[in-house]
Amino acid sequence: MAKDRLTEVLERYEAVIGLEIHTELTSLNSKMFCGCPVEFGGEPNTRVCPVCLGMPGALPVPNEAAVEATVLAGLAVNCDIALWSQFHRKQYFYPDMPKDYQISQYDLPFCSGGYLDVEVEGDAVCERVDRSGDDEYTTRIGVTRIHLEEDTGKMVHVGGSEGRIAGAEKSLVDFNRAGTPLMELVTEPDIRTPEEARRFAQKLRLIIVTLGVSDCSMEEGSMRVDGNVSVRLRGQTELGTKSEIKNMNSFKALHDALAFEIVRQADMLDAGEQVVQETRHWDVGAKRTSSLRSKEEAHDYRYFPEPDMVPFAFTEQWVQSIADRLPELPDAMRERFMATWDLQKYDATVLTSDLAMAEFYEAAIAQAGAGRAKTVANVMINDLSAHLNAAGITMDESAVKPAMVAELVGLVDDGAISGKQAKAVFSEMVETGEMPSAIVEARGMKQVSDTGAIEAVVDAVLAANPDEVASYKEGKTSLVGWFVGQVMREMRGQGNPQVVNQVLKDKLGG
Amino acid sequence: MTDLSSLTAADIRDGIAAKEFSAREVADAAFARVEALEPQVRAFNQLTPELAEKAANRIDAMVAAGEKLPPLAGVPAGIKDNMNLVGTRTTCSSRILADYQSAYDCTAVRRLLDAGALPVGKCNLDEFAFGSSTENSAFGPTRNPWDLERVPGGSSGGSAACVAAGMATVSLGSDTGGSIRQPGALTGTVAMKPTYGRVSRYGCVAFASSLDQIGPFTRSVRDSALVLNAIAGKDDMDATSVTQSVPDFTAGLDDGVKGLRVGIVRDMLELEGLAPEIKASVEAAAARFAALGAEVDDVDIPAARHGLSAYYIIGPAEASSNLARFDGIRYGHRVDDASDVLDLYMRSRAEGFGPESIRRIMLGTYVLSAGYYDAYYGQAQKARTLIIEDFAKAFESYDVLLTPTTPEVAFKIGEKSTDPLAMYLSDVFTIPLNLAGLPGVSMPCGFSRGLPVGLQLIGRHFDEATMLRAAAALEADLALDMTPATVRSLKA
Repeated sequence: MAKDRLTEVLERYEAVIGLEIHTELTSLNSKMFCGCPVEFGGEPNTRVCPVCLGMPGALPVPNEAAVEATVLAGLAVNCDIALWSQFHRKQYFYPDMPKDYQISQYDLPFCSGGYLDVEVEGDAVCERVDRSGDDEYTTRIGVTRIHLEEDTGKMVHVGGSEGRIAGAEKSLVDFNRAGTPLMELVTEPDIRTPEEARRFAQKLRLIIVTLGVSDCSMEEGSMRVDGNVSVRLRGQTELGTKSEIKNMNSFKALHDALAFEIVRQADMLDAGEQVVQETRHWDVGAKRTSSLRSKEEAHDYRYFPEPDMVPFAFTEQWVQSIADRLPELPDAMRERFMATWDLQKYDATVLTSDLAMAEFYEAAIAQAGAGRAKTVANVMINDLSAHLNAAGITMDESAVKPAMVAELVGLVDDGAISGKQAKAVFSEMVETGEMPSAIVEARGMKQVSDTGAIEAVVDAVLAANPDEVASYKEGKTSLVGWFVGQVMREMRGQGNPQVVNQVLKDKLGG
Repeated sequence: MTDLSSLTAADIRDGIAAKEFSAREVADAAFARVEALEPQVRAFNQLTPELAEKAANRIDAMVAAGEKLPPLAGVPAGIKDNMNLVGTRTTCSSRILADYQSAYDCTAVRRLLDAGALPVGKCNLDEFAFGSSTENSAFGPTRNPWDLERVPGGSSGGSAACVAAGMATVSLGSDTGGSIRQPGALTGTVAMKPTYGRVSRYGCVAFASSLDQIGPFTRSVRDSALVLNAIAGKDDMDATSVTQSVPDFTAGLDDGVKGLRVGIVRDMLELEGLAPEIKASVEAAAARFAALGAEVDDVDIPAARHGLSAYYIIGPAEASSNLARFDGIRYGHRVDDASDVLDLYMRSRAEGFGPESIRRIMLGTYVLSAGYYDAYYGQAQKARTLIIEDFAKAFESYDVLLTPTTPEVAFKIGEKSTDPLAMYLSDVFTIPLNLAGLPGVSMPCGFSRGLPVGLQLIGRHFDEATMLRAAAALEADLALDMTPATVRSLKA
């Protein structure tokens, strides 16, 4: 869908979006209510025990680390932490749920009433028609609540097409995932554009990864974002009928699905039709949403307090002890990068948009020295990011280490190699994982800065090109570049460009 | 020769330690009694002679090696068939779990066996512990050893009957509204529900999680204390088990009741429908307490009158949820020709559950439904709070409270089975303790028309010791012969 179609719709309609974001606490050692390990995949039904299989007589015991992780996340998004909270049972029958109820939270979640400030800049501003004159804007998205629950198992449908249940011969259940700690965050309907939704989800992901409680992989499903969206004519105060969108498995999918849905709903209203309250499924291949189930099929979950556990009574001191464990969060880190290393906002944003990137940067600066903060940033933002993107790998998977970048920047700074040589060294470093100094040595790329050696070559070049020398002396000083090129060619690129320039100007009587 | 089936647990352990008899001989005596009486009594769903033999051999090997014996060494034990024990089925007396093999051990059972007990078998119960007569078992009723035409009470009827009949010396039951104490009263045994949280519930198939508690049936108060010693204490697998320190419950048992403040719960004693002989027995017991030096007076627990109605909301609500897992997906009865998953659920459950289970699931589902929650579950929780407060107030003035255990002695098989409300009334005196989480013990205090009458002593939270001390004093004073008719006829 072309963006201008969305923008056109948003000129007449206002979208109202709220998100529900489930995050598996994959970094914890054990499941929510038993000691089974938390890991993605694996031979089906191998990471299970009587508790997470719902065997007769088995009882849940809450994982304290998961409770602490949830409170930590709540504090990171400015929530109030309830001093009295408890689990409830959410009851419905489904084969992937061993007990046929999910232990979740109802009216007493651990965290409530928080927010995140989301920044939008550049082209993305255009979706917000009331801000279209601005270069950038910040909008505050309320966090209604964060609660903790257990994940379900996974169904596998055999014999049908594409693993769908329709037409399948039989269904199998894998309970490895059952009981994985699952944190659910619900936002207020404060989001107005698909871009804001994407930025919110990205920022939340970065925060949770920084907290070290989840890998937040949208591909593997450890972070799952559902969206509630409705539209209303600009100026209208009452809300339109909403739909809930599921199966948005990437940030791009989140944006595109919401954009599609906004346009779909607006088109219906334009045609005089009514939007139906329902759950819709994003089909990333077809780039459209389709109806999954309507509200008439909604369950009565018969929530009631989980009697197998006592309520949680926290003290202010305990909450403070969790707050004391909060690491530096992305916003604060960006401010610090700008203040400490004198970086531009854009550079600091890029470097702190990924925890591995930020750690890499700080490690490289520690070796290269604060004076090279800007050049290290340039190499990372330009060369390293481009390399990672092109190779489709993460920072951890790359052969490039902070010490290499630090050394490379140092070699250029000290005049040992030219900027052009540095690009060649970088390319080789990426392939081999060798230190830049070793590459320079092996390739004989050492830059020649010795004035005597350069003078000899300059003399020879001037002697061989008397016409050009004459032109230069008549005022065509732009020829100096051409002379530099000739000298560098003679020196197979190893001449120090600054020294070559200086010697040439001296000899030509500049 | 000593009748090994009549000994107490303490005597058995000491006799084995003194090499008067072997654990193997104790086991053989228990199974000989089973052979003689089980065909009439039907206390067991499954007998476990191999497990008992192995355990007995282990004890005898310890004796031979001169090792110190654990406190329940060689004591034959029945286990209610809603508790998991590897190597046995755990059926809950339900068709839906008729072939279910235990996948792990219930903590209380494990602790009992670790203390040296010999597992005789898994005891019959009302299906999923729903009932007061053991008639709701999918495998047929258990009969009362005092009169085979009568019920042993329930739901732990098998656990009560096997101890009364000498087929086991002790047994474990579970008590949600009276399921230990009521059959204890009807079979003339000592039957204790400990404080909620005192004994781990892990591995006992849940009926109502906030009310369930495992406890012992024995033929003496001292044995009750011994079994509680073995099974009590924090379990990391049960978040509602408490870290409260566990005293030796046998210490101080003989210290008497001088100065003990005993409150007779007068409004329960005046309840319409209480059999006059039972009322008289309890009054007589109260008089004995006074004679023994206790300060005895009347006390009222007015909110207890809401107990039955609150219980029949909270109990089924939790049960409807706890029984959801029996869905035919992972284990248990499943129809093999289901057309889809809903059909599989509905028919597997309809075929697997008996009528009382279905009644409670429907009741519980109804009271938790949107729009009804506040009127039923919410109100019931308020009543529960009032009951807790009334008991707390009574315990400001009294150390133990005294009530009848049941309104009637053992009734005939079939007498109440078609009238659920009449059946529910059997637990009117026992239910308030579950709602309040308090410990209670039922003990024999006399007879009515040849059938045992039970009284209930109630202790403060986690003060089973004082409650048992009072029970021991009365037991010694009354010195009743609690040998049931079926056992007498064997000896004749």
